[in-house]
Amino acid sequence: MRADEASLARLMALSQHGDKQAYAALLEACQRWLRGYYSRRIAPSHLDDLVQETLIALHTKRASWDPSRPFLPWLAAIARYRWVDHLRRLYRADEHELREELIGTDDEPAVAARISLDRLLGLLPPAQERAIALVKIEGLSIAEASAATGQSEALVKVNIHRGLKKLAHMIEKE
Amino acid sequence: MTMPRNSEALIAELVGGLEPVKPLRFGAGMALALGSATVATLIVIARFGLRPDLAAGVVNPMHLVSTGLYLGLALAATVTVVVMSRPQVGSDHSGWRWAAGMAGLLPLAGVIVGLSRGGQAALAQGMDHGTDCFVIGGAASLLVFAMLVLWLRRGAPTAPDRAGLVAGVAAGAFGTFAFSLHCPDNDIVHIGIWHSTVVLAMAGLGRIMVPRLIRW
Repeated sequence: MRADEASLARLMALSQHGDKQAYAALLEACQRWLRGYYSRRIAPSHLDDLVQETLIALHTKRASWDPSRPFLPWLAAIARYRWVDHLRRLYRADEHELREELIGTDDEPAVAARISLDRLLGLLPPAQERAIALVKIEGLSIAEASAATGQSEALVKVNIHRGLKKLAHMIEKE
Repeated sequence: MTMPRNSEALIAELVGGLEPVKPLRFGAGMALALGSATVATLIVIARFGLRPDLAAGVVNPMHLVSTGLYLGLALAATVTVVVMSRPQVGSDHSGWRWAAGMAGLLPLAGVIVGLSRGGQAALAQGMDHGTDCFVIGGAASLLVFAMLVLWLRRGAPTAPDRAGLVAGVAAGAFGTFAFSLHCPDNDIVHIGIWHSTVVLAMAGLGRIMVPRLIRW
């Protein structure tokens, strides 16, 4: 089924009443929507984990959606929270992936730009946005990011730290 | 696009565990907070009694303005907490700040007047009475605080630290409002310092405690 606002909202409303068939359809549609939403904004090897963590959050927090409000901005807020949390945990574990070929997708997610991850990242100062994109999303090492940006290694680290902290407080910003 | 096997298994598991839920309505959150604030206020009045002038039907302008400012802050912060519990890209969480700015005039005026009266000696005056207001006002805010924390736990605040801070402000302002109906002191130094301290202390408590209590 198509992951459009009206169908998702209808399925979610049914799911809140305990309709399992609607819920299965909803989760599958959300799973596809989330893959599009996160694509190119997370290392491909982390995509499955992140999508599944977000589905679990959707499940746990399903009462926080009000049927009188749109569904996708709610899902996007949950997804952004999970995404920022994921990036922060990567940072704490200090695990830097090798750069992998990013999967190109032709089907651009049919989602309003205002709820996208790019929009959220774009709220950061350019130096912080770039440091996070290179290290946390594309998987460059601090040294590589430093060479690519001309920022010192210490500055790359500071920009990542400050940027992630800021992102965590801007989850619901348009 | 094919779905990885483990996603299919996860979805099957989540579907199997589906139970009906009651959506978090804005009105229900407000009713919970206002209901508990009313109960706390009634308990304070029953235990300590109304201010003598209020009981006699007389109002004092200073008391009216300061109590009104705390009530306004409590309401604005409560609205923000309920909004924060229901995430949505595009939601605005800043409304309470204006009310906090207005109520901030009270401690500011309290300090200025206190200093103009001779500094620390004036500020230290009425310490015992001030401590009573702080302790009882703080205790009066605990019921609202507990209800807001319960509500936030059911919800999905995307910034639990901020949500905790604002929940503390709401609870502290309600507690101070409740005790203001008893406290007979009309002095801006007393109100500005001791009554505001309840709000600040509860804000700090919320900021520290709530992120630990929110499970995602």
